[in-house]
Amino acid sequence: MRGLVSCRWSSLASTALGLFVLLLACFSTIGGLAVQIVGRVPRVLILYPYDERLPATSIGGEIARTRLIEATHGKIELFSEFLDQSRFRDEGHIANMARYLAGKYAPVRPDVVMALGPESISFIVKYRDTIAPEARIVYTGISGSEASRLHLPDGVFGAVSEFDIRKTIAMARGLQPDARRLVVVVGSSPFDKEWLDAAKRDIAKLEQPYETIYLTDLTVDEFVKRVSELPRDTILLILTVFKDSSGRNLPSRDVAGQLAKAATAPSYGPYSTYVGEGIVGTSTSTFEAMGSAVADLALAALANKPMADVIVPQTYLADARELKRWGLLESKLPPGTVLSFEEKSVWQEHHVAILLTFAIVAVQALAIGALLMERRRRATAERVARSRLLEVVHLNQSATAGALSASIAHELNQPLGAIRNNTRAAELVLKSANPDLGLMRQILADIRDDDQRASDIIAGLRSMLKKRGEIEWQELDVNEVVANALQILHGEAERRQVEIDFLRPSGQLPVRADRVHLQQVILNIATNAMDAMLGVAERKLMLKTGLVDAGQVDVSIADTGTGIPNEKLTRIFETFYTTKAGGTGLGLTISRTVVESYGGRIWAENRPEGGAIVRVILPMAQTS
Amino acid sequence: MSSAAPIVHIVDDDMSFRTSVGRLVQLSGYRSAGYASGAELLARLPTDEPGCILLDLNMPGLDGLELQDRLAEVAPQLPIVFLTGYGNISTTVRAMKAGAEDFLEKSASSSDLLAAIKRAMLLGQQRSAEHERNIRLNALVASLTKREAFVFDLIVRGKRNKQVAFELGTTERTVKAHRRSIMEKLGARSLAEAVSIAERLGMIDDQSAP
Repeated sequence: MRGLVSCRWSSLASTALGLFVLLLACFSTIGGLAVQIVGRVPRVLILYPYDERLPATSIGGEIARTRLIEATHGKIELFSEFLDQSRFRDEGHIANMARYLAGKYAPVRPDVVMALGPESISFIVKYRDTIAPEARIVYTGISGSEASRLHLPDGVFGAVSEFDIRKTIAMARGLQPDARRLVVVVGSSPFDKEWLDAAKRDIAKLEQPYETIYLTDLTVDEFVKRVSELPRDTILLILTVFKDSSGRNLPSRDVAGQLAKAATAPSYGPYSTYVGEGIVGTSTSTFEAMGSAVADLALAALANKPMADVIVPQTYLADARELKRWGLLESKLPPGTVLSFEEKSVWQEHHVAILLTFAIVAVQALAIGALLMERRRRATAERVARSRLLEVVHLNQSATAGALSASIAHELNQPLGAIRNNTRAAELVLKSANPDLGLMRQILADIRDDDQRASDIIAGLRSMLKKRGEIEWQELDVNEVVANALQILHGEAERRQVEIDFLRPSGQLPVRADRVHLQQVILNIATNAMDAMLGVAERKLMLKTGLVDAGQVDVSIADTGTGIPNEKLTRIFETFYTTKAGGTGLGLTISRTVVESYGGRIWAENRPEGGAIVRVILPMAQTS
Repeated sequence: MSSAAPIVHIVDDDMSFRTSVGRLVQLSGYRSAGYASGAELLARLPTDEPGCILLDLNMPGLDGLELQDRLAEVAPQLPIVFLTGYGNISTTVRAMKAGAEDFLEKSASSSDLLAAIKRAMLLGQQRSAEHERNIRLNALVASLTKREAFVFDLIVRGKRNKQVAFELGTTERTVKAHRRSIMEKLGARSLAEAVSIAERLGMIDDQSAP
């Protein structure tokens, strides 16, 4: 509590000084430090008490450095010195060190000296006249009570920490309400002993005292053995062990970690650096907060602002892994506790990344969904269009089948009549005294062929009437399709006394399409051609297949009919356009739709010698 | 020639059908000949054999009427049995106009087909017989003297002896003598028979009838 008093005192003094400086600045604008550092960047010397490995000071120092560089936008010169007083405490050495530094910094006198920890503070207060006579001194790393014991001169301001061990004990009490025992571990170094004294004082003031055991002046192994035999309802308080009873210098944090891990009861400590090593928690001024606070003091000093001691507030820190290890409830932690090493759910650990990922995924999903929906809609539309096309083509086929049915029926009469005659002939052969078996064989062979022919005709008709839900893609020979169509048309052509001429190359002309669709196109064009020849004397239907150029198959259907008026050459492919009394105006439209859906083209021309010619170009199938 | 079986001329572009009909008629005691088109028939048709023509009307490039005209010239005695696929009015009318002796649907049974052929053959025989008789009668008429022919022409048109005598500038008695001679030469026992012969030979046209 003396520290607190001295703190208030210093605060008053610094306020007075600040006012004085402010007055000076008002009168002359020439004020101490501000004048001295004109024309160059300010210099700050940071003094570390030990070597670079002490996390307490290195964390604070590092934070302070970063903050200074940030605040001055890098326009600052920083020096660091490690006094190494944990190992070299000899007064002579310390004096040599001071002389060495005085010489070293003679050309570059620091404007501010930042002392970390009690040893650094004592050192610079003692040797400031030789090392940094003009510099203002700021410090951190000691408690207010320690600072007051050092009897620091005026003009030296600190960010003093609070290492009130009772707050840590209160934290432990909250977590372990059933604990009956308090075991305090402390080493053998002078610093350790100071801690022991302070702790004893604080513990004595506890309102609800514990049975307290102090473990001190033991070797590390002995410490380990003792803490590993503790009953579970113990609160283990590990202070510092910078030296054990064997006199070895030790990194206190590592020892604390070792003991915490070996302990059979939850352990606590005074420093934030212990958190993560195995203790459950602490209430402490974090070294980060101290570094930040002392940097602010240094900046104020450089800016020649009024200054005062500041108390770095204590923070409750806890290690989630240790809570879990001991089965302690997170809900029993004091409010505002900073919980580290939470086995955070992936969500807690990376929620921003997760949110972002989810957002991206969601956006993507939406986009994909939209695209899928669009695709589905399109697919549906295409399916509907295709099924309508199929339906229309089917109607077209049915209509054609209807129109051709008479001639197809007649067409059937040929093989059926032949079969009938052959059967009768066979009967006559069998009735004869000496049946001619050779003739019988011939007759039967002919009957079989005619039966096949009849089947083919019916199959052709059925293919026109067959309703299908899907396009049957297949690779087919255009010649074959034309030949099939002509077979269907044969009867009709006979009836109408139309001569058919089909000129085809010897090879195959493969295309990929639906056989029935393509056949229907040929039927539509051919029946149109025959209709065009109703009143003319010469009636010839001329079909020709071939290759236009690489990759294109050409089917041309010419007639000797009346031809098409030139202005109507394109109109005939329009829906419901017809020149015939009984026409639907759909045949050529359907043909064009079918041809185009297979990637082809269709158009009509007039032949110079009379009559029309309709040409169909289809992409040739790529046969490997 | 008449000793050989009558021949059925089958005109059909469908070879299978042609062959089957040929086979059937041969087994039924006829001879057969097949033609793929009307033109082929006209080119190869033997004119002096008894028989009939079986003609499919549904053939590309066939004009039934024209074929009928040509057949009437080259083989008037050959009856034609028309085969139609439809039996619809237009085809039937066309077939009748083409001078169909008989016509039959293609779907007709083999018995009907054979019956039609048989009828046609009978008709052909009749025609042939008639044809022969006409030739004979023509020869008889040709044997008449010029004056007798004149008298014959008049009396078959229903002129009385008196009128004939007046037209000839002779006596009724002379006319009677001519008549007796004519009747004898023609083998006619009555005026009615003489008129029938004249009619058969196409000597009496309707316009000149009283």
